[in-house]
Amino acid sequence: MVDDWLMSTRVAVVAGKGGVGSSTVAAAYALAAAREGADVLFVAVDGRPGMGPLLGGRELDHTDRILRRIKGAGQVRGRTIPADQAFGDYLELKGVGGMLRRAASAASLPMIAAATPGLEHLLVLGKVKELDRDSAADLIIVDAPPAGHAAPFLRSASGLSDVVQSGPVREQAVEVDAMLRDPARCRAMIVTLPEETPITEAVELANELSGDIGMSLMPLVVNACWPERPGLARTPAMAARSQKVILSATAKAALASSSDFGRERLDRQHHQIDRLAATLVRPMVTLPRLPTPRLTLHHLGVLADALVGPLIEPGSP
Amino acid sequence: MSSQRIDIDDSFADEVATAALIVTCGPGGVGKTTTAAALGVAAARAGRRVVVVTVDPARRLADALGLAPGEASDEPHRVTGLPGIDADKASGELWALMLDAASTFDRLVHEQTANVKQAEAILQNPVYRAISGSLSGAQEYMAIERLHQLHTSGEWDLVIVDTPPSRHAIDLLEAPDRLIGFLSHPVYRTLTVGQRAFAKVTNAAASMFLWAVRRLAGPQIVEDTIEFFRSLANIEPGLRKRAGEVSVLLRSETATFVVVSSPRAEAIGEAEHLIGALRDGDFPFAGVVVNLIHPMPIELAPADRAALADIGDGPLADHLAWHDELIELARAERDEIAVLEDLAEDVAVVELPLMSVDVHDVAGLVGLADRLVGGN
Repeated sequence: MVDDWLMSTRVAVVAGKGGVGSSTVAAAYALAAAREGADVLFVAVDGRPGMGPLLGGRELDHTDRILRRIKGAGQVRGRTIPADQAFGDYLELKGVGGMLRRAASAASLPMIAAATPGLEHLLVLGKVKELDRDSAADLIIVDAPPAGHAAPFLRSASGLSDVVQSGPVREQAVEVDAMLRDPARCRAMIVTLPEETPITEAVELANELSGDIGMSLMPLVVNACWPERPGLARTPAMAARSQKVILSATAKAALASSSDFGRERLDRQHHQIDRLAATLVRPMVTLPRLPTPRLTLHHLGVLADALVGPLIEPGSP
Repeated sequence: MSSQRIDIDDSFADEVATAALIVTCGPGGVGKTTTAAALGVAAARAGRRVVVVTVDPARRLADALGLAPGEASDEPHRVTGLPGIDADKASGELWALMLDAASTFDRLVHEQTANVKQAEAILQNPVYRAISGSLSGAQEYMAIERLHQLHTSGEWDLVIVDTPPSRHAIDLLEAPDRLIGFLSHPVYRTLTVGQRAFAKVTNAAASMFLWAVRRLAGPQIVEDTIEFFRSLANIEPGLRKRAGEVSVLLRSETATFVVVSSPRAEAIGEAEHLIGALRDGDFPFAGVVVNLIHPMPIELAPADRAALADIGDGPLADHLAWHDELIELARAERDEIAVLEDLAEDVAVVELPLMSVDVHDVAGLVGLADRLVGGN
């Protein structure tokens, strides 16, 4: 049984600063939900195609395609949402006649987008909202734009309402805003690393998303945690003595050359996770750091397993 | 390091000593801003007057550079406490600023308009206010614009610009062309031909555009939009000229690009893409910094490993498991880096270890600077 929180909403927006692995976590989330029988749609907002192959399918494009079927369970589909295509779909949806559609395409999206700030983001979120309304999947996982762009992306709806006071764009902004604020329909998953700067930035992002944007947050995901190796707390020589094993000088030196680094990393990781727990009093889940710079479907499965693992509740030791 | 690279000087010593412009670019989360700052430290220690333009630096790095977040820091600010540099003597200086796209755009408008009234007409326009910081590519363009302003001021020996985090880091290079493309758009052209001609717009595309904006976004935005495009027309020749100048400057001998990556496959993929784009676009390319590399431990000798075969559970098992994992990771990373070294061909590749702590003070930057200019 997938932990309830994984299936607690219909649209999950996965966000984190560049380099924390939020796209990978979004893909692992898709796999975890599909393993439990869900029909999952993975949406790459910024058009990055790479998660398709990682999930076992083709590179993503604007066509909704099955990436992976899980025997006896669900499946993962994937697609991107390019802004210009979202624009065309939107015009069609709004019952805009041929005349306006021609006018809009003559002017081209960049021109209209320049006149209407945040429009491209809103169109993409509007498309996600339509997919949800049409029950396109049991769970839609949105891999949000990276780096500093997640908050502006999600703020586009409320931001546009300030500039645009009537017309279909306004309607769209109001509808997207309502979706983002409804926890039964949409929640945000914030991904971070057990390191100082990513944790500081995750706290800021959590405050932004749950603040004026009004989104509900899923448990925080702390990605790439070093495996717990309590034995590293002692030096190799001390560890050997406690086990009554005799280590050669070369073995001591070799083990120390890795364990000094590991001890320092683990200390830091504990310190940073404690800091996160104390700052944002929310449940969190940790995912392991995998000993490879190049992830495969196998690794994604390891992350999916960890994602459904026990949550660390605030206040627990 | 692969054998073909033996004769290559893997250092940025020449660049920090002679270049007038350095642009760092690469995927997010690889330490790009820190690298830009460390190159600045190296240049200042080489006796140059250098300014580092940062974009959204992490808090600790901003603190190290004396940039308080939330404060107006768009103007250069002297970084103090740099060892080996005497503030009283005519030696190198390190300055830093945080890019503020909106105020750079404002400055550009002031510079390109004939008078204050014209400038205010643009600056007060609600559409301008909304887009100056968010127009597609605006932040990238403004990073380049700021670089140009600082470079032409003549106050600096070296200007280092850290680029905005971008999935498609190439946006930066295309920003001037994109702005020109926007200004050349037929609808924009028709809307900006001037008040009189505009009063009787007969151009179908433009009137359809306005009609579309009115229908989609409501009537009140249309007036602001027309006004915005019309006032932008006053500065268009200046913008166009500037975009052209920047494009030339970035390809000149005084400029150079440094690509920053990590050993992770996806970061290396983006770095490869960027290197290809720099070469295709004839941009001067100084080399690659591979950051965040895990240390390679001393490997256990076969005899020692055999002696540890049956240690069972206990703290030593943790040591052994950790040792093997770290070696596996460190090896795999070195394989990934080898791909980048081959791709770099004859330019510098500087490899930096994962630091035990975030760089959060000037001393940390000095250590990094020494590695960037140290060479083999």
